Amino acid sequence: MKKTLLELKDLTIKFGGVTALNEVNLKIYEGEILALIGPNGAGKTTVFNVVTGVYKATSGEVLLNDKSLNGMKRHHITKLGISRTFQNIRLFGDMTALENVITATDVHKKSGLLGGLFGTSRARREEKEGREKAHELLKFIGIDEYSDRLARNLPYGVQRRLEIARALGTNPQILLLDEPAAGFNPAEKVELAATIKKIRDAGFTVLLIEHDMSLIMGISDRVAVLDFGQKIADDLPSVVQNDKRVIEAYLGVPADAS
Amino acid sequence: MKIIDNLKNGNLRDSGAEFWEKSSPTKRKILATSFIGVAALAPFMGFGLLDTPISDFGAVLVYPVGMFILMALGLNIVVGKSGLLDLGYVAFFAIGAYTMAILGTRTSLNTWEVMPIGIALAMIAGLILGLPALRLRGDYLAIVTLGFGEIVRISALNTREIGGPNGIANVPTPPSIGPIKFSLNDQKAYFWVVLIMILLTIWMIRRLSVRRAGRAWEAIRQDEDVAELMGVHTLKYKLWSFSLGAGIGGAAGVLYASKTLFIAPEMFTLNVSILILACVVFGGMGNIWGVVLGASILAYLPERIRFISDARLLVFGLALVITMNFRPDGLLPRKKREKIVANSSREVTS
Repeated sequence: MKKTLLELKDLTIKFGGVTALNEVNLKIYEGEILALIGPNGAGKTTVFNVVTGVYKATSGEVLLNDKSLNGMKRHHITKLGISRTFQNIRLFGDMTALENVITATDVHKKSGLLGGLFGTSRARREEKEGREKAHELLKFIGIDEYSDRLARNLPYGVQRRLEIARALGTNPQILLLDEPAAGFNPAEKVELAATIKKIRDAGFTVLLIEHDMSLIMGISDRVAVLDFGQKIADDLPSVVQNDKRVIEAYLGVPADAS
Repeated sequence: MKIIDNLKNGNLRDSGAEFWEKSSPTKRKILATSFIGVAALAPFMGFGLLDTPISDFGAVLVYPVGMFILMALGLNIVVGKSGLLDLGYVAFFAIGAYTMAILGTRTSLNTWEVMPIGIALAMIAGLILGLPALRLRGDYLAIVTLGFGEIVRISALNTREIGGPNGIANVPTPPSIGPIKFSLNDQKAYFWVVLIMILLTIWMIRRLSVRRAGRAWEAIRQDEDVAELMGVHTLKYKLWSFSLGAGIGGAAGVLYASKTLFIAPEMFTLNVSILILACVVFGGMGNIWGVVLGASILAYLPERIRFISDARLLVFGLALVITMNFRPDGLLPRKKREKIVANSSREVTS
């Protein structure tokens, strides 16, 4: 039996009268790539926002290693091992690519402001380690050549990948990718698929929101489907692909089938 | 030549930074030492065009020029680095000044002994204000800080124990350091103290900028939500930024009280906060050298043209408007440059 890393338990979110998520139960096992799919407005990004502490659950809870994350501060959740990217790229534009990643690595540093000011040996060591780690991650994602460029001047594709590198900078147990392939051409998508697999093989667990079915079917270990805030399927990609409810949710019910 | 190109594009900041990065450590030391040397000799340069016709040049260098630079650098940590709009910065200046005035007239503590107390009190005030206020953002934060500045001034105005509207007179001057005496007729000594304080502040900011705190501030300024999601303890670093800025304002206040020898609430109006903020914006938010230049000009210019008396504020305002039109990001904007060569493990300073 695989170990459950992240678990959503009867998770419900309401915004006023709108129910964005309705008693969703979902388990993410250690070391897998789980794709979260569903039509627009199904609540996929809401899941990310609850897990990372941006939204508070109306009821139910999120558990990381069986520990509830409810009511925790966002930076604390990140430190515990959850990191994410954003659907619409949100890099620190005025920083270089490298600085973007170093900022993320700072979360596990012990030396604070005073250590930095007086240049304690720990602060200097951590500074050096952070820099090396960031370079390593940029290489891992394949964009080290851009390390000294300002993030806002980078090509679109590189920015998307830099978001992943930055998210990995916090050394997460689970990485949440919000539509990482948006705007990519087919060749870039293939490359991205390889990168995501590489990330999983390096020991990270990946929760992925994506619309591109061929990408999802190619790399996911499991697929969960949301529709109007409800989980309607959660199984192997091949099974989900042929699930009647999933097809209905995506394509609507054909007139002659009803 | 990239440097020449930068000059042509009017990108002075970038060429300066590039020149600095290409210099060897020895060359840097020589450059820095000579720069500090020239700055230290500034009180002797009060002749010819530079001289201020009506005010005493030496006095102008201390206040407003030196003090404005110091305060603008402090405010720059808050506004320029961390992107928190603080319209009540004068409050910390006032707290420093009142600490000096009260302790200086009622105890035997001298200026140097009061200095750490004044800085500490200003920093604590920064924390007290920041803890509730920094949960707000943008305009709301600006309004709360503006209110705080007024609260401090009006409290001083209405507290009889600290002189009320009459303020506090006979604040002692600092004791002399060896042969260097502090007197109102010859303010060189004051200037050198301000200069040392400015240099310490610059050292501190440069140091922090390339380390964790600087990155945290930068991240908060650019996208606070994302910063927090990337693990930055935003409230903690905003509080640090606020109280460091406050401490510098407090330090300036202590010295100011010990220089003017008399302080009153009317010296600590909203105008001062706005003027210091103008120095930061005019010079170039977030860039130390821009702020130093901006504060120097904004402090010096009104004194230089004092001979046209009433018209001087008009000229001053006009100069501001025109400059901001041509350089909307300030005289020397923050780092824009990228290093194309991807080899440097050297720290990039900003």
